[in-house]
Amino acid sequence: MAEKVDLLAVFPDLEPAANAVERLRALGVHDDRMNVISGVPVTEAMLGRAPQWTNVPRIAMGGAILGFGVGVFLAYIAPFLYPYPIQVSTQGFVPGPPTAVVLFEMTMLGMLLSTFLGVFLESFFPNYRPMKYLPEISDGKIVVFFECAYAEENKITDALKKLGAESVRPAEAQPL
Amino acid sequence: MIRPEEIKMSAEETGKWGMVIDQDICTGCQACVAACAMENNITFVGEVDSGYGRSMHWIRIERFWEGEYPEVKMTPQQPMMCQQCGHANCEPVCPAFATVHSQAEQLNLQVYNRCVGTRYCANNCPYQVRAFNWRDYQRPEPLQNQFNPDVTVRRMGVMEKCTFCIQRIHKAQDTAKSEGREVRDGEFTTACAQACPANAIVFGRVDQPESLVSQLKHRRHGVKHLEELGTLPNVTYIKGG
Amino acid sequence: MSDKQHHAEHSHEEHLREKHLMLDPLPRGKMNEMVMEAMLAKPTWKWWLVFSILAAIVAYGLFYKWGILIMKGQGEAGVMRPDYWGIFLVNTVFWIGISHAGTFISAILRVFKAEFRRPFTRAAELMTTFGLVQAGFSVFMHMGRVWLAYWLFPYPNQRMMWPNLHSPLTWDLLAITTYLLSSTMYLFLPLIPDLAMARDRSTGWRKNFYKILALGFRGTEGEWTHLRHAMNIFAFAIIPVMFSVHTIVSWDFAAATRPGWNSTIFGPYFVIGALHSGMGAAIAVLAVIRGTMKNMSYFIRGEHFDAVGKLMLIISMGWAYFFFNDYMVQWYGGDKWTQQLLHFHEAGPMGWMWFAMLVCNIVVPWAILWNPKWRATPWLVATVGLIINVGMWFERYIIIPVSVTINRMPFTWKLYKPGIEVPMSIGTVALFILLYMIASKLIPLIPVWEVQEGQMAHEFKKFGRETVVTVSELE
Repeated sequence: MAEKVDLLAVFPDLEPAANAVERLRALGVHDDRMNVISGVPVTEAMLGRAPQWTNVPRIAMGGAILGFGVGVFLAYIAPFLYPYPIQVSTQGFVPGPPTAVVLFEMTMLGMLLSTFLGVFLESFFPNYRPMKYLPEISDGKIVVFFECAYAEENKITDALKKLGAESVRPAEAQPL
Repeated sequence: MIRPEEIKMSAEETGKWGMVIDQDICTGCQACVAACAMENNITFVGEVDSGYGRSMHWIRIERFWEGEYPEVKMTPQQPMMCQQCGHANCEPVCPAFATVHSQAEQLNLQVYNRCVGTRYCANNCPYQVRAFNWRDYQRPEPLQNQFNPDVTVRRMGVMEKCTFCIQRIHKAQDTAKSEGREVRDGEFTTACAQACPANAIVFGRVDQPESLVSQLKHRRHGVKHLEELGTLPNVTYIKGG
Repeated sequence: MSDKQHHAEHSHEEHLREKHLMLDPLPRGKMNEMVMEAMLAKPTWKWWLVFSILAAIVAYGLFYKWGILIMKGQGEAGVMRPDYWGIFLVNTVFWIGISHAGTFISAILRVFKAEFRRPFTRAAELMTTFGLVQAGFSVFMHMGRVWLAYWLFPYPNQRMMWPNLHSPLTWDLLAITTYLLSSTMYLFLPLIPDLAMARDRSTGWRKNFYKILALGFRGTEGEWTHLRHAMNIFAFAIIPVMFSVHTIVSWDFAAATRPGWNSTIFGPYFVIGALHSGMGAAIAVLAVIRGTMKNMSYFIRGEHFDAVGKLMLIISMGWAYFFFNDYMVQWYGGDKWTQQLLHFHEAGPMGWMWFAMLVCNIVVPWAILWNPKWRATPWLVATVGLIINVGMWFERYIIIPVSVTINRMPFTWKLYKPGIEVPMSIGTVALFILLYMIASKLIPLIPVWEVQEGQMAHEFKKFGRETVVTVSELE
């Protein structure tokens, strides 16, 4: 079994980081073994990486449908749940136009709550375990975390340094 | 398709209990106001709050002056209470269903225990006849002994209004039922009508053509207040008859 | 190119840089430092003085007086027949109005990619949340039996009742709850990366505080992607929610059978009014932040006051349009009660307020905000903003307690005199400011990562002899 080693490379800027990703791929590090962490939303396209999959829009849609269901319940079912429905003025038990208000608000509430929840689910928040991280990231550095064969460590380190890496060193999970 | 003549805007189709008030014979003596307060356990607000506009009455006598001084003329006294609208503005706006329509009696009910005090109903009442319990008012000794046991005592923070003495309606209905008959016209009346020395207030079934209230209502030119709003009130005023 | 030309070119660029934050980038680390320094600056004695005065006002005006109100009933307030609704609802509408600017700035401007929004989206979003807190307090103050307020929420209960969905107040409750929850979430999402930044640069209890709030955010591609999608959904979805909230607030009045209220234009009229007061409050908050916090003159500049000032001018014109529309049609209708009411507005005992409203909402903003130089002067625009807020408060005062004086039963006509509402209203204002003061010490008020993102997207480009600024879309 080939020994694997976790490394990180710190880049001051987007350009060298993107080059480094390309170089790592050429050196045989698979995309799945790489993780780029940055302090601004650097898109996958800028780094030349495959688009990230996110379920947030689907979760939002699901929440919207759920919220709409709650709205339907409140507007059309709830008035008849108890032994006698209540008459106000000459309006029907289910008021016409006002149901639109209820359906709208409940749909939006469901959608927005689930969008928020979706971020938590998709990003595994909250998560307070030690993780691979460098505080410099929030200062604008871009850090590429990757895993490579022990034998290739030196070769890759040299290559990344040539591309402008400020430092390449072993990565360790640490409390954030 | 609905043809225009099919749309019915009159109160004839709605309503069960109704009232006719003859403004020509009303003397403005306030006996109805006092009787109503006694019958319905209405609190005493005191002069300070009353002067500020927090008087608590389910019926009030309105009096206006016409013309400029010195040519001033007094208009007829106008007793004003809940008109028990068939299409009531107060009902749909309450978020807590505290004021609802009784399908059996065709009255506007006020459910004190449900009221949370948003005061939307009072705001939306074109007749301004709802009374709010602004405070817990003191009831000086020995007035606590005169509570009517058939009527709830209200506390601070709830809305109340004329009920057409629904406790009397129910009592009469119970008596009639136990005797196996229908309620007779004139068998009972509301506190205000009972107390009126001039018999200016007549109460009864408006859905029975032979009742006194129906006949009065049709015989002379009755007027319903703010009828143009489509509220279908059940109180008819007679003036200049 | 001659030296002179080169020099002119250079100074043109310098000039643009000085003016625009987006063209004047600093390293991220430097910006973080500046924001952290502003946040961690040890409170001066002046800060503590203001803090204690406000806290005292909140304790006395809001909580003590509220206790009295609950104990003794609504009779402590100035409400009576026919003025069943008083200043508490004026404040509710006012604070919901204030809250609209936050959403306007952070959602509408984000959707339309207005770059000047970047440094103050957070300050504006905070206004939404804090404003809604005051609105919530105000509406509960108004209730006669506030201890039963939970009856208005839909839940299965022993009373066998659901809330009445026929009532505009129930729609209001649903809409405001939706708005409060979603605007708080929308405040929190873009805050996560900044909380992570604060976590990386603090020690002691703050370290733990930010660590917990940052939820373990690192900035991986996945995290950013989820966050970006979520913020995009929020930015689009919260706009109709915002419009619905104030429209429903307006329906509380428009759905009622009252002269002056029963107007079909009230929905948009209230929405534009909300934006009017909200933008005014936002600009005042910006001026205070800029004037009192360290390093803020780098982030919040004349250009921002200029841009928001333009919006304020347009919104003021919109408000005037809707106001006239409403007035015109009511006047033309000729209903006798409406005629009485309009006459009462202008010539009644509160006529001074009606005219003051027009001066504050139309005359003052139009007279000052047309001038780009004046518009870029923070204290001046902030003063205009505060004046607009006075005017908008007057507007709501005229719509609620002044208008309900006139109804279809002349026997009951009576003018409203506020009582316990006065200290309690001052209490809500104090609490609003107090919350801001606390927030300024606890969370980074400038969304640093958004500023950096914006600065990355801007660059100078030469078209022929002219150097212009271009913005690229990074998302």
